[in-house]
Amino acid sequence: MFRRITAGMAVAIGLSAGTTAHAQELTLWSHWADQASKVEFVESAAKAFEEANPGVTIKINWYQKEPLYAALKTALTAGQGPDIFYAETSQTEYMENDLVMDLSDKLNWDNIEPWATDVWGYGDGVYGFPLEAWTVETYVNSALAKKAGVEIPVEGLEGAAFVDAVKKIAEAGITPMAQGVGDRPYPGAFLTHDILLKKLGADDYASLLKGKGVKWTDPRVREALEYAKEIIDAGAFPPSFSSIKLGEAHRYFHTSPGAVMLQMGSFYPSRAFASPDEGGQADGFELAISHGPIPEGAACAKCKTIAVGGSYVVNAASDHGDLAAAFLNSMATPEMGNKWLEANLVQTGIKADPSAIEGEHAAYFQKLAAANEGATYTYGIPVQQMQGAPRETFTQTVNQAFPAGLIGVDEVINLMNGAY
Amino acid sequence: MSKTAASALKERDHANPVGAITTFILPALLVYAAFTALPVLRTFYNSTHLIVPNKPSEWVGFTHYTALWSDQIFWKAVWNTLTWAAVAPVLEVVIATLLALCLYAKVPFSRVLRVAWFTPVLMSYVVVGILWMWIYNYEWGALNTMLRAIGLGALAQPWLGHPDTALASLIAVTTWMWTGFNMVVILAAMSSLPSEVLEAAELDNCGWFAKLWYVILPLIRPTLLNLVVLSFIGKMKVFDLVWVTTQGNPLWSTETVSTYVYKRAFQWSTFDLGYPSTIAVIWFVIVLAGVLGLTFLFRQKDRLEY
Repeated sequence: MFRRITAGMAVAIGLSAGTTAHAQELTLWSHWADQASKVEFVESAAKAFEEANPGVTIKINWYQKEPLYAALKTALTAGQGPDIFYAETSQTEYMENDLVMDLSDKLNWDNIEPWATDVWGYGDGVYGFPLEAWTVETYVNSALAKKAGVEIPVEGLEGAAFVDAVKKIAEAGITPMAQGVGDRPYPGAFLTHDILLKKLGADDYASLLKGKGVKWTDPRVREALEYAKEIIDAGAFPPSFSSIKLGEAHRYFHTSPGAVMLQMGSFYPSRAFASPDEGGQADGFELAISHGPIPEGAACAKCKTIAVGGSYVVNAASDHGDLAAAFLNSMATPEMGNKWLEANLVQTGIKADPSAIEGEHAAYFQKLAAANEGATYTYGIPVQQMQGAPRETFTQTVNQAFPAGLIGVDEVINLMNGAY
Repeated sequence: MSKTAASALKERDHANPVGAITTFILPALLVYAAFTALPVLRTFYNSTHLIVPNKPSEWVGFTHYTALWSDQIFWKAVWNTLTWAAVAPVLEVVIATLLALCLYAKVPFSRVLRVAWFTPVLMSYVVVGILWMWIYNYEWGALNTMLRAIGLGALAQPWLGHPDTALASLIAVTTWMWTGFNMVVILAAMSSLPSEVLEAAELDNCGWFAKLWYVILPLIRPTLLNLVVLSFIGKMKVFDLVWVTTQGNPLWSTETVSTYVYKRAFQWSTFDLGYPSTIAVIWFVIVLAGVLGLTFLFRQKDRLEY
């Protein structure tokens, strides 16, 4: 209740600030320069806020992620920067250095999913507005799986059954899993990450990644890695794994189908649901979503990963902090949550109702809901949970060298253990 | 002041026009101070401080330097960069010399070849990087396609994706890119050789190889050494090509000091510029020592005169 009242006050302050005689300009720097639907969503929200608050203008600069981070680092260090900016939950340096505003009494948190609120929690505050969220899914081309003579059910395949399926697909001359790490530090690790998570359970896995408690020398970790290695050695990934880019992996899976599975964030539709000539799914593509491989003796066979992606934070040095929070609050409504889902086809931290979605993509959301039914979540993929040397080592080993077959289980354990 | 003394001063003014010199030098000096000297000094300062926003800089002495000593990734990056800086200049200059000799000997189509060989240096590292990523692609890249076509498919591999081949593949790219530039410079040096010396060698029945070894190469030696030093400096700073193609992967086999500094400064989720500055300082010292060492090594004691 307290949060609701204070959030209401924040909105009121924002609105009153907006109705004062002098003009106020909010500045926003955001990633997603090349993602039209997200740009459209935020810009329409900004336009609606401007109309509701005469005298207020919102100036948005769209960037690619790397240049945005570099620009922010320079600007924030100089005590400048925009009023609102894009951030991700791994960027704890913003909170460590008091660079972003505590939003715990400024947003209407009743309209935000509790797990998304928790992910942005730091110390006693909550610092980010979790606009984008996604789960890690194993997408399956059912037709190609049938052609290879395998069936991959929604609940996934356990132990040797998954290894056998991979072998069978490879023997049929089809790539079992489209994946590549040519331009991203995380997709190659999805397989190992998923197996480790299920083997250890969410808490022990988080402890492993953070280097607190569970060590990489733990026998369960070794068993999980050996299981992943079996799948890799069965020919799970294409030989060009090291150079395939994210977009190419997508096209390899759904535009010119050459692989049975694709482990990917549920932002999959942002590329797949474009028309085939723009790199989307081929006509008549039979898409299924599965739980992925489950190791023997899994502590949490239903464990999955949910990650808060693109979020907005308010610059602590902003002269219009309350107005900036009011703008974010204008997006924190169930209506806007549903609008986000329909426009972007990826989850959001705003409470929304996927079952309310109608039209051509309704079936997709039903499949996604079925694959997530009864799931226990860990929050964030490894590169979002790790920092510094462990993160860099994880990227080089578990994300790249291990799935590429360049190193074995012992090397992974030694390198990761030495990184903490 | 006597009339004679005043006129003498006036003459001195003409001889040493301090005002004019200051006017011409000051703008360049200010630009140099602002954009070169000051950042360098600031980097030295940062390397002994913890620099984070909203807090005063904290003196940490040589903590960053001692931490760097046990930083395995840094030493891997140093090794890769030194390998690149040692191998690439030699390859570039040797191949460039051979190509320049071809053109000097006026082989058929030499004009076309000169343009073709020089062209790569006109492209940016970004374009070159993308181009070679395609060439090195495992499945449909030109290199593996050619190997398969001539029955050497067993040698086909992800050239940039394997630690054993990635660095060598990138060294090949910079060699391809810069050889043409070196070739043009060497050709210019050869073209300006005094004809009487070459004619004298011919009159002495000097063979083709002997003329090259005992006359041409010694005469263009200063040019070759300058090219080696320039190439060495360039490779010690290499960043763009690595960033476009591998970002230091796989297993840090293509990590260079420049890419590591960038990662530490902008990708390691920390605002502290102290540690990256320490790397920059150490590397500045190593590059400076390398250049001085090369200059000393290549110093020509008996200056050639002709």
